Amino acid sequence: MTGPGGSPAQPVEGRHEDAGRLGDGAQPDIWEVFRQEKDGDPLRHAGNVKAPDADLATHYARELFGRRQESVRLWVVPRSAIRDLSDPDLLQPPLDRSFKKPGGYVMRDKLAAARRRTEGQGS
Amino acid sequence: MIGSPDGRPRTRQTIARDVPEFDVHDLDQPTRAALAELLVTIADDEFVLGFWDSEWTGIAPMLEEDVAFSSLAQDEIGHARVLYEMIARLTGGDADDIAFGRPAEAYRHCRLVDHPRTDWAFSVCRRWLYDLADSIRLGALARSSFRPLADVVAKIRREETYHLMHMDAWMRRLASSGLDSRVRAKEALDTLWVDASTPFARLPDEALLIAAGILEGPLDGLADRHRDMATGFLRELDLQPLGAPSGHGGRQRPPVSTGFAWLWNEFTMVRRQDETATW
Repeated sequence: MTGPGGSPAQPVEGRHEDAGRLGDGAQPDIWEVFRQEKDGDPLRHAGNVKAPDADLATHYARELFGRRQESVRLWVVPRSAIRDLSDPDLLQPPLDRSFKKPGGYVMRDKLAAARRRTEGQGS
Repeated sequence: MIGSPDGRPRTRQTIARDVPEFDVHDLDQPTRAALAELLVTIADDEFVLGFWDSEWTGIAPMLEEDVAFSSLAQDEIGHARVLYEMIARLTGGDADDIAFGRPAEAYRHCRLVDHPRTDWAFSVCRRWLYDLADSIRLGALARSSFRPLADVVAKIRREETYHLMHMDAWMRRLASSGLDSRVRAKEALDTLWVDASTPFARLPDEALLIAAGILEGPLDGLADRHRDMATGFLRELDLQPLGAPSGHGGRQRPPVSTGFAWLWNEFTMVRRQDETATW
């Protein structure tokens, strides 16, 4: 597993580096795991696993995010397949965008006015 | 730990009962004893291998596999628990006593799971050979005419299918991951192959179980299928082992091996400190 920034996990003392070598120069890929807690829920990001292929990635996702019956569905996605969008020019543009937010409409006053009208009709 | 001076029965209320209700008198006494013997051999296989593989917790080659392999080992101990509960029902005993209360020489596991964990390649190869054997054995037991057994086995099989997929994936990795891992896998298979059929070793009172329809045929009749499936897969990986599996005398008998004596000491250590403790 890696941290949120994708930095490799610290090596664990006593873990034999050569024992885990995956061969053919293959480095384990990182797979992002999404899990659904119960049917109908949205799939939420659960974390990630390192695995050399899709089969083992699926197994590791199951063990890390599903072995205690805490999930009904997992999505396992190679990190390389994720399009990362964090460009501030697109997401945090410098000009005022408050006119694109609904905050300009003061619902409280309109609701109060509507209530007064309906109360008037009711009496 | 708190003792039980008032003689209260031990309770395991946190664990759901997975053994279906059944009337032990549906089977005559000799058949009950023969069935209990069959179940002890399977449960001991799962239990002993579960403890060997648990020895990898914390030191498996990568963190993800550490969690996965330990979880698989726990699953095996869970399968053993269900079977020990069923034996307890058949014999009027207590599942914990059967699991932890026997002397080392009374365990009936097969030679394949008597070896220590050794190195990673050895544990993977042994686990793969065992899971393949287990899937064949469970497939036969799922067709048992003794309904409670067929029901329990059906649940166990759903987990074992996944175990075998996991081990297939690891066998492929060992075979394709450079010379060192291939050499280690080959050495492990050469050592283990002679014991590959021991999960199917014939039991003394098997004929009673076949007559009652609990077994559809002799256990060692499944060994050929196991050997053929294993050989086919290993040929694909170019890892054909030397020699041939020996089918007979496969269940551990005294003297207890040094490896198992050590493991028995480990897994009974806590219980032996206070055998009357409740949990």
